[in-house]
Amino acid sequence: MANLQKRGLKTAVICSGPFLKLGQAQARVFGVPDLPLLVIPHPLGGISIDQVKARAEHALPLFAKVLKENTQ
Amino acid sequence: MSNLAQMLQAPGAGIDADDDFDAINALMREKGWSDGLPIVPPTEARVAAMLAYCDRPWDQPIAKIAPRWGEATPLRLAANAVMAGCQPRYFPLYMLAIEAMCEEPLNLYGVQATTHLCAPLVIVNGPVARELDINSGHNAFGPGHQANATIGRAIRLALVNIGGAIPALGDMSTFGSPAKYSYLVAENEAESPWEPLHVERGLPREASAVTVIGAECPHNVNDHESLDGEGVLMTIAGTMGIAGVNDIYYQAQPLVIMGPEHAKAVAASFSKAEAKRFLQRHGHLTVSKLSKDNIERRVKVTFKDRLPNPKPDDLIYAVQRPEDLLIAVIGGAGKHSAYVPTFGATLPVTRALKTADGKLAKSVEDFRQR
Repeated sequence: MANLQKRGLKTAVICSGPFLKLGQAQARVFGVPDLPLLVIPHPLGGISIDQVKARAEHALPLFAKVLKENTQ
Repeated sequence: MSNLAQMLQAPGAGIDADDDFDAINALMREKGWSDGLPIVPPTEARVAAMLAYCDRPWDQPIAKIAPRWGEATPLRLAANAVMAGCQPRYFPLYMLAIEAMCEEPLNLYGVQATTHLCAPLVIVNGPVARELDINSGHNAFGPGHQANATIGRAIRLALVNIGGAIPALGDMSTFGSPAKYSYLVAENEAESPWEPLHVERGLPREASAVTVIGAECPHNVNDHESLDGEGVLMTIAGTMGIAGVNDIYYQAQPLVIMGPEHAKAVAASFSKAEAKRFLQRHGHLTVSKLSKDNIERRVKVTFKDRLPNPKPDDLIYAVQRPEDLLIAVIGGAGKHSAYVPTFGATLPVTRALKTADGKLAKSVEDFRQR
């Protein structure tokens, strides 16, 4: 993700709440501190397909916003 | 070889503090540079004594430790080794263990950051294990030996202080594990009926070596009744068939530790390779032991070729191939063995202890700078 971001591709990482700090730390380590981290509800394991879809629906507008901001 | 006083002038290389045990420990707690236990203050003199056993440039990284990918220089490692209570002569083996666990196949990033409770287990082989009095016998995984306790602890301090394995930040383990304080033993080569682990893994017998495994804590295998090796192997195999371990879904390489008495019984009728074949064939669980959602979402995906329509009596193996199983002989008297599952997405790494010129070290004294 960091490499894609560095190459100028519109990139974002989707993570659940407890992993946000890890994601932020990794983004700093890999030299992309502004890498967008899109937070979805925890957990990702042990959920039904419908709940997985709901998380995707949660993430989609967040990612659309990232794309919009980057194209303005 | 290197000028310590000069290196400590570099920004961030050291901190000024009174040489006062309580004050320095308070500072370490404040900075988060500890495992929670008191540390030995890493004064310049103590760090210099540690580095006297280092034959490489003290400010050049020997590895980068995930997930922070912090540079593990001998200087930084020496400070952590002092803090952990290591004797200076432990330093070459400590450096080797850090180097080995940063090799790509181990996937230290995963081992450090996962929600799983694994920790790098270090098994030491060869003459240096005896030279440093690393316990391989009774209570090998427990307290009582300075080398086991402090080299293992120094590894954890480096994983935290250099690698950033800070709970809930770089170490996301749901539980953690007592093995995250210290997890280092030697193989009991003297009591083993087979060739040592490092020889089996391709190194000369005279080499000293570490094998690092991204491992859970050992799970005991009690068998006081079997009268022959096959019986002992059946009990070990029965212990390996666990529904909740990662290994069953990966091409993983878990570890079987045989106590010397069990090993002797097994070796009476099995070579090590034959024992592995037996354990692979009999170390399994039936699909009926798994939940319907795990069958649907894991078994059918992972084993889609072998088990496209899993039946309750179909078998899920603890290891996919006999050669994937590691066997080491560790421990003292008693009718016990142990099974050590792994993180799954990790492979063991074995490395020999060598001096900077690439020669096998005969002793830690080979590293001493005079």
